[in-house]
Amino acid sequence: MNVLNSYQPDQGQGKAGAINDVLPVLPANIRSMLAALPDLFQEKVEEIRLRQGRPLLLGLSNGDVFLCAEGRPTHRINEAYQVTPLDMERVIQLISNSSLYALEEELRNGFITLPGGHRAGITGKAVLDGGKVRTLKYLSGCNIRISREISGAASVVLPYLLDGNEGIFHTVIVSPPCCGKTTMLRDLIRQVSNGVPELGFPGMTVGVVDERSEIAGCYKGIPQRDVGLRTDVLDGCPKAEGMMMLLRAMNPRVIAADEIGRHEDVKALEEVLNAGVKVIITAHGKSLSELLERPVLGKIIKSKMLERFVILGRSRGVGTLEEVIDGKLMRAIGVRKC
Amino acid sequence: MVMASGFCGLSVAGNYQRRPRELRSLRAALQMLETEVSYGATFLPEALKQVSGRCDQSAAVLFREAAAELSTMSGVTAAEAWDKALRKYYPGTALKPGDLAVLHNLGASLGISDREDQIKHLHLAMEQIESETVGAEDESVRNVKLWRYLGFIGGLLVVLLFY
Repeated sequence: MNVLNSYQPDQGQGKAGAINDVLPVLPANIRSMLAALPDLFQEKVEEIRLRQGRPLLLGLSNGDVFLCAEGRPTHRINEAYQVTPLDMERVIQLISNSSLYALEEELRNGFITLPGGHRAGITGKAVLDGGKVRTLKYLSGCNIRISREISGAASVVLPYLLDGNEGIFHTVIVSPPCCGKTTMLRDLIRQVSNGVPELGFPGMTVGVVDERSEIAGCYKGIPQRDVGLRTDVLDGCPKAEGMMMLLRAMNPRVIAADEIGRHEDVKALEEVLNAGVKVIITAHGKSLSELLERPVLGKIIKSKMLERFVILGRSRGVGTLEEVIDGKLMRAIGVRKC
Repeated sequence: MVMASGFCGLSVAGNYQRRPRELRSLRAALQMLETEVSYGATFLPEALKQVSGRCDQSAAVLFREAAAELSTMSGVTAAEAWDKALRKYYPGTALKPGDLAVLHNLGASLGISDREDQIKHLHLAMEQIESETVGAEDESVRNVKLWRYLGFIGGLLVVLLFY
């Protein structure tokens, strides 16, 4: 467990800079292919997908594209670079820092968090123990998802989340995968923690439970992302346990966590809500009605304890703010798509 | 002539003496690595660095070089970093090719499997090194005195024969 004051000096990161973060975990040949891409194209890369014996694929915001051996994007399969067994072996060793033994929990979950908060999903053959996944072997697929820090991503939504008494509403950010939930959550944490003088908001102590090291991008316990001056990060800690630990130990005024959904997470969330601490959480879903269908999360939404729902989508590109919903009235507040 | 031959003999005798010592140091270092892997779940580059700081000087160079190579994130695997470190370490030691093979085989499995499997590989290497140590100690007892005298006597014989 790492509980620490997470203020880091501004580490402004260009969009293309994010891809440079993940280059060290790729074999030299694939590294040079990606480095050969023009800067403008690098900015668009959201995922790097490697599947043994199949073409190297780049996931972009508006589709995907193969990569040639000389580092040129192409839509022709016969021109695409085929990922070799040696490439896969190297990638697995590099993303695990040659320490698969130290990442057993991560392998069970199917992903490894890389320095900078990027995530490498892994597939292979699951080894079961008593019906549960013990580990993965014959690792043959890897998807490196590039996380980008966008300062100001939450600015548009923040005025709807402030309660006018120097506090914030209990907030849930809702979106399907890859629509910018975590990016918005991170920026919201930063702004709530630092305060926003122009909105007359002084800033609050925020406790973050960063189970997958994606929010603060902690590496060896130290946040690599700017998550604000008054933020304490519990890195790699299960959400349910972490929320209770922060509540007891760090006296936060806001607790933030990513991807709430399991029964134990919601139970801990109820505890936090009843303890007078504000929450900012995210959940997978397309809309509020979809969340209401969820057996565990739906119940707490129906109790109307959660006050704001920020719905993100892709209708005008990744991270489009579709609507902000008042959780008590269960209706949208006038927000224009942006 | 006698002096030169004598020093050669002393050098060979010194190698026989050094080998068991170096093997024992290696075994102790691998034991430390096992502790880092099994109890600390420490990442390999850091584990190697920590072992290099704590183990005997004779083995430290191997672990230090491997850690440094892995830390550069130049795209090499643990096996490649270990082999590169072995190439720097081996020439300065009294180890034999058989000892090198044990270390080389260990390198091929470093960091690529779960904790249980890593411990098995480390145990196997430690057992092999232990068995090599027993042989090296026997050889040392048998050969150290022999080579100490043989060098000087050989030199003396050459002098008597040719002059």
